[in-house]
Amino acid sequence: MGFPAFSPRGGGGRGAGGRGGSRGGFGGDRGGFGDRGGGRGRGGFGDRGGFGGRGRGGGGSRGRGGFGDRGGRGRGGRGGGGRGGMGGGKKVFVEPHRHAGVFIARGKEDALVTKNMAIGDSVYGEKRIAVEEEGTEKIEYRVWNPFRSKLAAAILGGVDQIHMPPGSKVLYLGAASGTTVSHVSDIVGPEGLVYAVEFSHRSGRDLINVAKKRTNIIPIIEDARHPHKYRMLIGMVDTIFADVAQPDQARIVALNAQYFLKNGGHFVISIKANCIDSTAAPEAVFAGEVKKMQAEKMKPIEQLTLEPYERDHAVVVGIYRPPVTKK
Amino acid sequence: MASLRNAFKSNKAHRERHQPEARAHLGFLEKKKDYRERARDFNEKKGALKGLHKRALNKNPDEFYFHMIRSRMEEGEHVETPKEEECTPEQLKLMQTQDLKYIAHKRLVESKKIDKLQAQLHLVDAEKPNNHVFFVDTKEEAKNLNVAERLQTHPSLLSRKSNRPRLEDLKKMDLSKILNDETTENVAEERMKSYRQLEKRIAREKQLMVAQQKMEMKKMLRAKSCKPPVRIAPGTKSTPPIYKWKHERKR
Repeated sequence: MGFPAFSPRGGGGRGAGGRGGSRGGFGGDRGGFGDRGGGRGRGGFGDRGGFGGRGRGGGGSRGRGGFGDRGGRGRGGRGGGGRGGMGGGKKVFVEPHRHAGVFIARGKEDALVTKNMAIGDSVYGEKRIAVEEEGTEKIEYRVWNPFRSKLAAAILGGVDQIHMPPGSKVLYLGAASGTTVSHVSDIVGPEGLVYAVEFSHRSGRDLINVAKKRTNIIPIIEDARHPHKYRMLIGMVDTIFADVAQPDQARIVALNAQYFLKNGGHFVISIKANCIDSTAAPEAVFAGEVKKMQAEKMKPIEQLTLEPYERDHAVVVGIYRPPVTKK
Repeated sequence: MASLRNAFKSNKAHRERHQPEARAHLGFLEKKKDYRERARDFNEKKGALKGLHKRALNKNPDEFYFHMIRSRMEEGEHVETPKEEECTPEQLKLMQTQDLKYIAHKRLVESKKIDKLQAQLHLVDAEKPNNHVFFVDTKEEAKNLNVAERLQTHPSLLSRKSNRPRLEDLKKMDLSKILNDETTENVAEERMKSYRQLEKRIAREKQLMVAQQKMEMKKMLRAKSCKPPVRIAPGTKSTPPIYKWKHERKR
């Protein structure tokens, strides 16, 4: 990789051709990040051609050479009459996921997505992908980044069950700004409900803003350690998801389960080993947490570490007060 | 007048005869002053040689010199072991031609672009080094656990961690729409392009970061402090040098 590639002045000796080239390069770059345009509105995919066109006009392919790996653009070659577009122009296809309501978009991107409930709206600046199926109207998906969301990381890591089918009621502890909550609300759909508990007022503000546009989110700005304070707001739930990153996480979840989780309901807990005990080995920490859960009548079913998305994190899925099976 | 004349007389340049043209084939005609120069040079060299001889004779082969750490003898010849380079040529070029703020800015731009790319490239098909534990009640169950059955999926899908559809869903799925050869191929190609771009950007950002850290270290070393810092580790191509300053309490 040539270092001069990232100094715009680097190609000074190139003369007039070089200048033309550099403009072309920038054009291409815009095209490459059409997602910015896409983030704002309509079909991120349609626009790209338009921007790419500008890049092409800029200069000869030689001039762009230096910037080739900046934009990473094959744009010029494509539009320049090589293959003439890619077979009918379908640039992304969406694969339904094992978990209902979750999809995988495959195109220029390689992303986990959920079907957007509030169409035309991005919650935290994530990219949206509009897909048009023949005979049906446009469906909009939102990209769900597993590098930022533990639940997304668990889903891509191959977790068996997340226990959040469409129409279910979920209690989400540690909602933060509501980024993952918004995806959970996409998954449970308009029939379901997400009770999002967050203690911090600052991120609670963002959470409330998310809830304004999504009617199935009920934001609760309270300490999850004191479920009696918000017991009047919440009915029985099917699943508790916890991402509170506190040393007494298991106790917090158990308390909430006592109040709100139905018998045979499920819990999904994300554990950050560092937050529980930063000196012990992560595996030992996970095992310890599982022990604590068992003591609280929470029966773990599976445990999954979140590499390569997070280091020393695990997600434990289990069932609360399982119905007694007769032998 | 006489004195003036005498003065002129003494000032007259003394010219010696040079080699006549007829004898030019014999070469340069040496004069006394030329001889003296040649002789001095010869004697100097003779003296130097003598000194070296003497040193060689006086040398103790078992004596330690610090220079030995970074040099060795190879077939009777003294060879310096090459030092490991602290910077790659690219880094050096970057550090010498650009200033710190510009590099910091470029690095920031690069990391923003990485974030943006990474937000939509989720390593869906990549090999995942995670581990997955299922809890069962009895040892017998653990022994007889069939993972594919437990996950209600096809055994061939077990390695596909990112998405293992259930068997019932697989039966219902209409793959004809999705699996169009040309489309999948084109899309895969586009995706690979994106991943390659991301990879390059990450490498470039790393290089910029190293250059930036090295420059920052240089800048800090230029700043005056009462005690010079102690070097703990030298810089390498991928890391800046590490120095330790004495902690001084600011009032």
